[in-house]
Amino acid sequence: MAQTTLTSGIPAQSAVRTPPPAPKRRRLAPHQWLAQYAWRHVVMVIAAAYALFPVAYVFGAAFNPLNSIGGTEIWPKNPSLENFRSLLTDPTQPFASWYRNGVIVAACASVFNVLLGSCAAYAFSRFRFKGRKVGMMTLLFVQMFPSFLALTAIYIIMGQVQDVFPAVGLDSLAGLMLVYLAGAMGVNAWFLKGFFDTVPMELDESAKVDGATHGQIFWGIILPLSAPVLSVTGLLGFTGTLNEYVLASRLIQTPEKRTLAMGLQQYISGQFDKRWGTFSAGALLAGIPVILIFLILQRNIVSGLTQGSVKG
Amino acid sequence: MAEVSLDHIEKVYDNGFHAIKDLSLSVSDGEFLVLVGPSGCGKTTALRMIAGLEQITAGDLRIGERVVNNVNARDRDIAMVFQSYALYPHLSVGSNIGFGLELRKMAKDKVRDSVTSVAKTLDLTSMLNRKPKQLSGGQRQRVAMGRAIVREPEVFLMDEPLSNLDAKLRVQMRAEISTLQRRLGTTTIYVTHDQIEAMTMGDRVAVMRLGELQQADSPTELYQNPANIFVAGFIGTPPMTMFHADLTIEGDSATIHIGQREKQHITLAPSVLQQRPGLRQYNGSDIVVGVRSEDLYLEVEGNAPVVVDTELVESLGSSKHVHFLLDAKPVSEDLLGGGVPDPEDIARLGTDDGTRGVAALGPRAAVRAGERMTLGVDTEHVHFFSPETGLAIRA
Repeated sequence: MAQTTLTSGIPAQSAVRTPPPAPKRRRLAPHQWLAQYAWRHVVMVIAAAYALFPVAYVFGAAFNPLNSIGGTEIWPKNPSLENFRSLLTDPTQPFASWYRNGVIVAACASVFNVLLGSCAAYAFSRFRFKGRKVGMMTLLFVQMFPSFLALTAIYIIMGQVQDVFPAVGLDSLAGLMLVYLAGAMGVNAWFLKGFFDTVPMELDESAKVDGATHGQIFWGIILPLSAPVLSVTGLLGFTGTLNEYVLASRLIQTPEKRTLAMGLQQYISGQFDKRWGTFSAGALLAGIPVILIFLILQRNIVSGLTQGSVKG
Repeated sequence: MAEVSLDHIEKVYDNGFHAIKDLSLSVSDGEFLVLVGPSGCGKTTALRMIAGLEQITAGDLRIGERVVNNVNARDRDIAMVFQSYALYPHLSVGSNIGFGLELRKMAKDKVRDSVTSVAKTLDLTSMLNRKPKQLSGGQRQRVAMGRAIVREPEVFLMDEPLSNLDAKLRVQMRAEISTLQRRLGTTTIYVTHDQIEAMTMGDRVAVMRLGELQQADSPTELYQNPANIFVAGFIGTPPMTMFHADLTIEGDSATIHIGQREKQHITLAPSVLQQRPGLRQYNGSDIVVGVRSEDLYLEVEGNAPVVVDTELVESLGSSKHVHFLLDAKPVSEDLLGGGVPDPEDIARLGTDDGTRGVAALGPRAAVRAGERMTLGVDTEHVHFFSPETGLAIRA
């Protein structure tokens, strides 16, 4: 390295670093503004339009009383709330229950996922024990197979669990949640461990000397510092679980216990009865919790939270 | 306040690395002890063992009356300041300082009072609500100090707390920490690789090398009576000039002979032999001689003359450091070096042509680089070491 060092071996670049003063805003001439900033807006608008175009179609279908995919337009001729009404009032299709089931299962699964995953990640990141490497490699190895590869096995196991413990067996939402938890644990543990490894060990040690137990270090230091990555993990877990169809459709049999993804499928699975309008209305409603959670967590999903902990 | 004593402490890592070898050291109540040595000498490992962050392989560690080998860090009643400060980035300065107290379930208002008074001491009052990243290096350093002193622990442990600061701030914080420690009277163990920090701050300085304690003494004693070649070379700026010589003794008069090309003979003052009768057993054999830079003079009268080739003159204002080359066999890296080779060590080791050394002369000394000159050696203050063991010949 070409950096100059003082006699005692300290890098000449000191730890005292004051941020540079904010540059004064100059007023730009219009053509300069166009050259410097406008093109970014153009790119942004194109990207947004590209992303929102399909959503616009879903909106159009949801408010279109025609209820067919052929008649879908972005601006329907006679917009109405007919699709939403039939969605919420049809006694043979209890959409409200499905909605509730889906959100509860997804919320619980993502919260427990983050919690269990971070416990495992903390142990893998901070403790040194026999079987640590083997344990981590096993988790990674198991993750290499998609969970529906194990569908048959899961189905049989859940059937047997039902004989002993019906509350978490086949055809129960709690059982479905358990399966989801097992499926995502490994990848989350790896993901979170990677982040925990970047939290300086000195913080743990400092807290230890200050009088903290492992529990207090975990809850008081590691978790708050990992808020961004926990938020992302939770959010991904939530949307993933909310969208999951394959496992849910096998493990849940009673119509009332269906999840949102399974329920929505009902509207477009009939051979001669595909109600795309109602489906779109349901899909729009399904997007609400995801958007809400995103908005709530958005504040947390910022980088650089560990800045200033150690060194300059 | 408590005494800390290390009794034949050993540390062997799982990979077999023997980091600390038979370390016995006792730090009395209220004392400021500095552990100093080159990188890799085991000083930080020793400190971490005292803190409870590192297992002790063998030996007893006592804090007060209690053997704490198997006591958790949090139950040792110690506070530690880390090299990197290790501030909690998500907590404000106030919460950082009060963290330890809150963990101990102290009442909220009492925590606030303690934090306020510590903040006042450290001049942090206006920053209590800021986050660590909004502070400068010096301020972060003070927060780390505050976190340590607020708990009023038995012992402070500091691991190179100033090494991330720039030179000027380091000098300032050095004084602040010393003053604070004297006022609080808390037993303190301070690790540094900077011998100036060690000399200026410590009541006592323990010099370590390759996991072994070399000497633990007051700064003056270390400087004036180094126990071996390593300590003599490590302590003191500019470093001591050391070289091999042949010693001959006739009656009460001792002479050293140096030089590989041209022999020079330096007759020692009669008092030298009287004070160190042990020198007699080196009669007719090789010996290592050490001269401090201030024991070399421009005046030859009253001193023993020695001819050197000047290489570089550094004018520091109050004095001039003359770097010279002396025709004498340099001391080997085995005896002088601290394990991990340091470019500075290699520079001062010397060359095949002789030994590099430094003389601190007066500010008006008329010296020019590249000239041959004669320096006077104050032989009463010359140091002698055994060339085999490196130990000082002091009696």
